[in-house]
Amino acid sequence: MLKHLGIVGAGTMGSGIAQLAALSQIDVQLYDINETILRRSIERIKADLRKMINLGKLPHEEFNAILDRIRTRTSLPDLGHCDCIVESVIEDIRVKKDIFKHLDANTKSNAVLASTTSSLSITSIAALTRNPERVIGLHFFHPINTAALVEVVKGYKTNTDTLDQAIECVKSLGKDPIIVKDTPGFIANRVSLPIFSEALRLLGENVAYAEQIDNIVKKVGGFPTGPFETLDHMGIDSALAEIESLYVQSYGEPRLRPHPILKQMMDSGLLGKKSTKGFFNYEEIK
Amino acid sequence: MEHKALKKNKKKPEKNTKTAAKVTKTSSKSTKKEAPKAPSLITEKFDLQKVEVPSSQGIYKSNKALVYLVGEAPMVEQYAELCIAHGYNVCASWNKPLTEKQNTLSSGIKISSIVPENISVAIELTNIDILSKKKNIERLAKALPETAPILSSSITVTATEQSAWIVGKHRLVGIAALPTFIDKSLVEIAPTIYTPMATLEVVSRFFLTIGKEIEIVQDRIGMVLPRILCQVINEAAFAITEDIAAPDDIDKALTLGMHFPRGPIEWAEQIGLDQVYAVLTALHTDLQEERYSIAAILRQMALTGIWWKQLTTH
Repeated sequence: MLKHLGIVGAGTMGSGIAQLAALSQIDVQLYDINETILRRSIERIKADLRKMINLGKLPHEEFNAILDRIRTRTSLPDLGHCDCIVESVIEDIRVKKDIFKHLDANTKSNAVLASTTSSLSITSIAALTRNPERVIGLHFFHPINTAALVEVVKGYKTNTDTLDQAIECVKSLGKDPIIVKDTPGFIANRVSLPIFSEALRLLGENVAYAEQIDNIVKKVGGFPTGPFETLDHMGIDSALAEIESLYVQSYGEPRLRPHPILKQMMDSGLLGKKSTKGFFNYEEIK
Repeated sequence: MEHKALKKNKKKPEKNTKTAAKVTKTSSKSTKKEAPKAPSLITEKFDLQKVEVPSSQGIYKSNKALVYLVGEAPMVEQYAELCIAHGYNVCASWNKPLTEKQNTLSSGIKISSIVPENISVAIELTNIDILSKKKNIERLAKALPETAPILSSSITVTATEQSAWIVGKHRLVGIAALPTFIDKSLVEIAPTIYTPMATLEVVSRFFLTIGKEIEIVQDRIGMVLPRILCQVINEAAFAITEDIAAPDDIDKALTLGMHFPRGPIEWAEQIGLDQVYAVLTALHTDLQEERYSIAAILRQMALTGIWWKQLTTH
């Protein structure tokens, strides 16, 4: 049973993991570079817990006890005693490598070092550590509170002990682990990619309009949202960056090739919901 | 039986498209003494209330409209059950005799390889065996009056290519048919360059009477959902080949992580790997791109039977 969890990065994902862990009776050391980010993270967690209380999902008297389990830190060595440390910072390989180098030097030697990356190589992140066998990926899904699954990503040198501890950690958080190899997009992102890439091809080849494709995918396929609606929601720039990352990491696998439509839309500032225009128009909503 | 949509269909055909106008002109030229062929005949005669099924054929004595289905199991059965449930008479034929397991037909389905003359709509449902498909389409085109539309699955060979097999091309309209697809609320249809508006109207009204809305898309291999779905299944098969995750875990990742209604492995089994393979092969042949290459494991299982549930990794 996991007792002490370290989290590096107090953004949406890091805060979500901290909250999950605290709800699961695990002591959390939540690290970020400054107090402002950490304060914002704690406020987010408080707001979420209050929502749970209002919905009757959490007894009111547990509110403070849960928050007491989360300690905020601005110094990485304060995470040194943790059994597992989960990194959840921006998707930039240089930043992640730097953090893992520090974690490697400032944590106990048998601690699991995990990254929540959704598109970067675990093997590559582990490469700068002295003990790459204790580096592993934990890919959580959105929304973190309700998504039941976590992909446990084995790097090239990840050993069995690390894998077992990581699985235990995921179970301690109340999630269902599945083991996947370190490959571009792991399993969920990679296998779901054709939904988007083929939809874009169909649009590019003028087989059907975006509205039609979404309608067909929802009504015949039974998907809750269509591919273009999802791309607009993700943000065209984020979607393109993720697909480009998979394409580059796979050394140009044609099935993972991004479609030029995404680039054209990004260049035109059509970024989806956040810019009020993407494949669909959201001006009225705004 | 009330078929309101078809009953309303008494207006003159629209002639605002070049295709529709062209077909009308050609047909009038070839049969001077008769009333014009499609599209006008289709719109006027395709009132199901007027369709008379001759009792001399010994098939049905009721006044219900008749749908003729031919092709592959289980699509023929699935379409047949739906048509019967919506008040049609159904006559059906399969490319191969049904096995005992497959043969759980409702009593309302008449089995006959002879195409009745006065049928309302013919539906050809073959994706795998294109030679059989060609024979079926040719047989339907010869037996059916020029007023009867022929709906044909067009995901492994386009409707336009199919129309080259027959005389009376105006009758043919492509549909996206895969096992279980007809259970959904929408059907993709693909008119050919020869399809007049009037045929499209009749077809859309037919689908309306069986509770389906339609989406009209371009006539391309795979159409929309079959192309997307088969590529997802192909990617899952590549992932299994590369030992990235176990088959059950792939389904779990896609359903729990990505909100898929079902996992690609379960989907492939539901549709049939032979069907998926047929779509992927057609896509690869048509588009000639490496991105449409087929995972070896998928090809092997399509030809020898499914064994990926027995696979585990790590």
